[in-house]
Amino acid sequence: MVDIPQVAVLTGFGINCDIETMAVFEMAGAKAHRVHVNSLVNGEDNLDNYHIMAVPGGFSFGDHLGSGRLLGNRLRFGIREQVRKFVKDGKPVIGICNGFQVLVKMGLLPGDDEVSLEQTASLTLNDSGHYEDRWVTLEFNNNSPCVWTKGLQRMRTPVRHGEGKFVVPSPELLDKFEDKQQIVAQYVKSEDEYPSATSEPLPYPTCPNASMRNIAGVCDPSGLVFGLMPHPEANHSKWLGATWTREENGDDWIGEGMAIFNNGVKYAKENLL
Amino acid sequence: MATTPLQRVEVTPKSFAGLKDTRGESIRRQLASDHGLQVKEVRSIIGYLVKADLAIEQQQQMVTDLFCDPVIEHGSVNESMLNNQELFSERPDVVIQIGFKPGVTDNAAQAGLDGLKTLFPVDANDAAISTTMTYIFYGLSTDIDCDWLATQLHNQMIERVAITNFEDSTSSNWKYLDFPEPTPNQFSTPSIIDLEVSDNELVNISETGLLALNLEEMQAIQAHYRDPEVRESREKENLHPNAPTDVELECLAQTWSEHCKHKIFSANIHHVDNETGEDTHIDSLFKTHIMKPTFDIAEKVDWLLSLFHDNSGVIEWSPEWSLCIKAETHNSPSALDPYGGAMTGIVGVNRDILGTGLGARPIANTDVFCFGPPEYAGKIPGGLFHPSRVFRGVHAGVRAGGNESGIPTVNGAIVFDERYLGKPLVYCGTVGIMPRHLPDGRESHIKTPHPGDIIYMVGGRVGSDGIHGATFSSLELTEESPSSAVQIGDPITQKKMVDMLLQARDEGLIQVITDNGAGGLSSSIGEMAELTGGAKVDLGVIPLKQAGLSSWEILVSESQERMTLGISPKDCAAFEKLAQLHEVEATIVGTFTNSGNFHITHGEQTVALLPIDFMHDGVPQLQLESEWTPPTHKEVVFPLTNPQEKGQILSRLMARPNIASKEWWVRSYDHEVIAQSVIKPFCGVDHDAPGDAAVIAPIHGETQGAVISCGIIPRYSDIDAYAMVAACIDEAVRNAVCVGVDLERMAGLDNFCWPDSIESPKTPDGRYKLAQLVRANRALDDVCRAYQLPCISGKDSMKNDAILDGKKISVPPTLLFTLLGNHHDVRKAVSSDFKESGDVIYIVGQTHQELGASELATLFQDENGGGIGGKIPEIDTTRNLALYRALTAAMGDGLVVSAHDCSDGGFAVALAEACFGAGAGCNIDVSQMYADCKEINNWGVLFGESLGRITVSVKPEKSTAFESAMAGHTCYRLGEVGRDDDIRISNGSETILTASMMELKKSWQSTLNGGDV
Repeated sequence: MVDIPQVAVLTGFGINCDIETMAVFEMAGAKAHRVHVNSLVNGEDNLDNYHIMAVPGGFSFGDHLGSGRLLGNRLRFGIREQVRKFVKDGKPVIGICNGFQVLVKMGLLPGDDEVSLEQTASLTLNDSGHYEDRWVTLEFNNNSPCVWTKGLQRMRTPVRHGEGKFVVPSPELLDKFEDKQQIVAQYVKSEDEYPSATSEPLPYPTCPNASMRNIAGVCDPSGLVFGLMPHPEANHSKWLGATWTREENGDDWIGEGMAIFNNGVKYAKENLL
Repeated sequence: MATTPLQRVEVTPKSFAGLKDTRGESIRRQLASDHGLQVKEVRSIIGYLVKADLAIEQQQQMVTDLFCDPVIEHGSVNESMLNNQELFSERPDVVIQIGFKPGVTDNAAQAGLDGLKTLFPVDANDAAISTTMTYIFYGLSTDIDCDWLATQLHNQMIERVAITNFEDSTSSNWKYLDFPEPTPNQFSTPSIIDLEVSDNELVNISETGLLALNLEEMQAIQAHYRDPEVRESREKENLHPNAPTDVELECLAQTWSEHCKHKIFSANIHHVDNETGEDTHIDSLFKTHIMKPTFDIAEKVDWLLSLFHDNSGVIEWSPEWSLCIKAETHNSPSALDPYGGAMTGIVGVNRDILGTGLGARPIANTDVFCFGPPEYAGKIPGGLFHPSRVFRGVHAGVRAGGNESGIPTVNGAIVFDERYLGKPLVYCGTVGIMPRHLPDGRESHIKTPHPGDIIYMVGGRVGSDGIHGATFSSLELTEESPSSAVQIGDPITQKKMVDMLLQARDEGLIQVITDNGAGGLSSSIGEMAELTGGAKVDLGVIPLKQAGLSSWEILVSESQERMTLGISPKDCAAFEKLAQLHEVEATIVGTFTNSGNFHITHGEQTVALLPIDFMHDGVPQLQLESEWTPPTHKEVVFPLTNPQEKGQILSRLMARPNIASKEWWVRSYDHEVIAQSVIKPFCGVDHDAPGDAAVIAPIHGETQGAVISCGIIPRYSDIDAYAMVAACIDEAVRNAVCVGVDLERMAGLDNFCWPDSIESPKTPDGRYKLAQLVRANRALDDVCRAYQLPCISGKDSMKNDAILDGKKISVPPTLLFTLLGNHHDVRKAVSSDFKESGDVIYIVGQTHQELGASELATLFQDENGGGIGGKIPEIDTTRNLALYRALTAAMGDGLVVSAHDCSDGGFAVALAEACFGAGAGCNIDVSQMYADCKEINNWGVLFGESLGRITVSVKPEKSTAFESAMAGHTCYRLGEVGRDDDIRISNGSETILTASMMELKKSWQSTLNGGDV
């Protein structure tokens, strides 16, 4: 038991990617637990029991009052110190889609060294004005301290959201996040040669939501907390790809998205066990 | 409650570089696209009317910590933002505020109330929230009628509006909505209804009470209350011995409704066929043509686990897992409120899955809609929405319902026909998965009820919304149709309940479960009471949304998001603890018994005592007349054309709404949540070519798959409903074959939507419509037997007529056939897109001159007049099945790289679509296709809709192996995938059609483009 990282995959209130998120952590060699947010609030369980926390995608509270807002508040007001301790203990956190929205709205991302849980950025309605499910290509920043994306170059994943436009109220603040290498993942045009990530606005649907600087995912200054709008867990096997029937797949059917979860579990194994 | 102070919170987007008011902008674009109305700018304010006792600092905190996102939004409390010069410096032309009517579900408000409780310990009983949306218009032409504009933005059935017109705006006289205070319900003690009256009066009681019971049924009820034994047992409970209470009559009306009892499918039908001279009686179409074939197949296979009796049919999919499937329609509510009607449709069928066996997990949705033409230019009868608005609303409802529940929409279709103007058809289907066995050893598809089990109602509360849905859907739509039949779903309340109940199932806490759909508690408890032989229920303890509901209203209300369960007394504590963790309301409402009665009290007083067998078996069988005379149609008028003109005809065909790309709409459904979607709605190099069937791999990391497909082609009913049904089933099977389905394990679902088929003054052609139903059922019987494709569940909706402005609009007889099949290995699944230049193109299956009621015939009818008459596709199930077996075997051997079925628009359309996926044209010679049929011409080859045909492509190096695998079946090598954009089709040396792939694609994509980004 002790040699396997234990992952708390949060559930409840409309989170709906919990089952596949558990599956990918198990595929990556960890033990995943489905943890209802209320069991952390009522003290039956505690984040101390885990090495990794994952906030999966979904529609917590129906996205009402802004996506991620109400679940973010449940965490910010209900288990504030547990969350802060978890991050300060050097344990990795990932938020995917609605989970990313939760981490941003509760101020854990882009965050600060003190883990003060003050919100500084937001995720808002796509410029298109509607929800969309489509595949995108992501490119990762190799200078980022993010433990989840070490060594990754590009990845194809679906985006499935209506509120994925990452916004920061001032360019100076955005520059600061960029300087600290907190901008981890950006949308790129799949046909362009690697590396091609750019801060110049890319057209729809390459950048599906008109995110500032084509940002798809960010980390906190420590690199432990990572959030992104696209769904790497939805590409856990090659047969889930958008164009896999057009490709040579060989005998290894592990999907591109697994690299992120493998990184997180590897980090936990090397640093927390 | 009236004394609780009201705070008005307002929230509007900030304006900084890179951020815009997307909600306002969406409205601006929609007005331009739907009405050609140009407005300079639209801004938005979200409003929250908050009734709660809060200190000043708490009021400020609730704005910054709850209602407003301070990074991107301005928020205020008790200030009118429109008077804030910093935010709204320019004076708007018009302001329109929209809010819900009292009692209508307001999900954002509920979420807000939950958020308020996270911040402060407010008393939930004292606090209430209501939301509004305000649109602020700039640059609006002064000749715009503000009332008209408001009508475009809200649905009067469920919403209210406050309009600040040009003049009011000049004087800053902003109009606001008040808090929607519901009128208090008047509780009335159960009344006694005297049935010792004339026959006319009996009918009158049924009609005025919206009971939808006919005279024979009313007489059967009358007779029941004359039974001395019945009278004796009633006296013991202090009930009026000789007459029903309103609770009893309502309960019977729900249980006996067409919606619940399927009286037409159970009827004794006298069928006359004027073509063949047949004169016969059919004792229940359902038993004869649906159940019988399935039970006959069930004797030969061992994987059919649960048939017809539960909320969905169940098959064994693997030694560890079962799959179940169900589809429902939600037509009448969707006509009145497209958004709410469709949303409750999808979340409702999800509950059917949750209520199957001991509970299954919904894992995939299918959505099939039939609408009036989106570009319909004729007059819209009063009380109806334009089809494009119905389309938008239904789509938005299904999108919200499916996406928020975390269930992918994997397959569907949209069909357009003018006759759906009166009643749109909204089919919502769901596939579920459950373990074969629970940890405690019980098989999860079998309910295990016992007398003494405690009855719980779980999930949402009961309100005055959704009263009379079941009986209302059994009547035609009129201007007087009640708004109480309309509801808005609450997917998050339901999602919490699903999470909780599946955990309860796995912990072995559930003995019996069913959903509250049509008929509410009267149906859910009534049905489960049949299993134990009785139930005793207290309506006085049911949690209500609004106080004061009368007993019968509580019993029959169809308020959403509720399940009813039986829990063993020893498990109640554990069950309630789980409910608490998930914040799900679970209330004990009674006990299952074996008393033989459905015994309903309200507090101490008995308000209904209905013998279970009378409730379920007391309804008299209908005696109906059916008479078939084949209709006559004018022949199709074919124009004289050259190859380029045929290319242009293909282009116009591609643009027809029935064939056009639905990508804009389908993309806004999540089709990939759960991370299992292998063959998706789209494929091809640019992810925009149409897929056939869906393939999912529901167990993460494992390669066994499930296939989901559907077939729907109502236009053939105009010639013969037998051919219509045969074509639907073949289409569903063909689609499944295209992805490589396991033909030995497929199950079907039949969903009939028919116009009223009972002859009456309102329906003088009832005999013909019933004959169409008879023929449809015979086709279902014949084809399902031949394909060894058992129907495991289904549903019928038999009153799809609207009487509006005195005119009756009936839908064409429509079947949706849904297929659920196994897939041995998803790594071998095949998609529809051509892969590479040089790949060899084949057509498999025979082509006949079958253009009757085809999409091409309809195109020519629209363009040149003439008719749709002609030969309609005839099915040869033996030939098709043998070919399907050979083709799926070749797929298993890795010989096939693409397969796309020929359906609407025939071979040429299928070919073009497969080309879209490759981003290339093709060069083919179709001369061999003329060999199958003597009368065939170019139109038949290119656009005929013969069944059993699939367009296939194969790697050149595997073509020999493929051809030998297909030996003995019709399989023609036609040519190859091109290197350029040109599509060239020749018959030997004669070119018969040329077109540009990109031009065709543009035409295919432009028709149903829902709006630019």
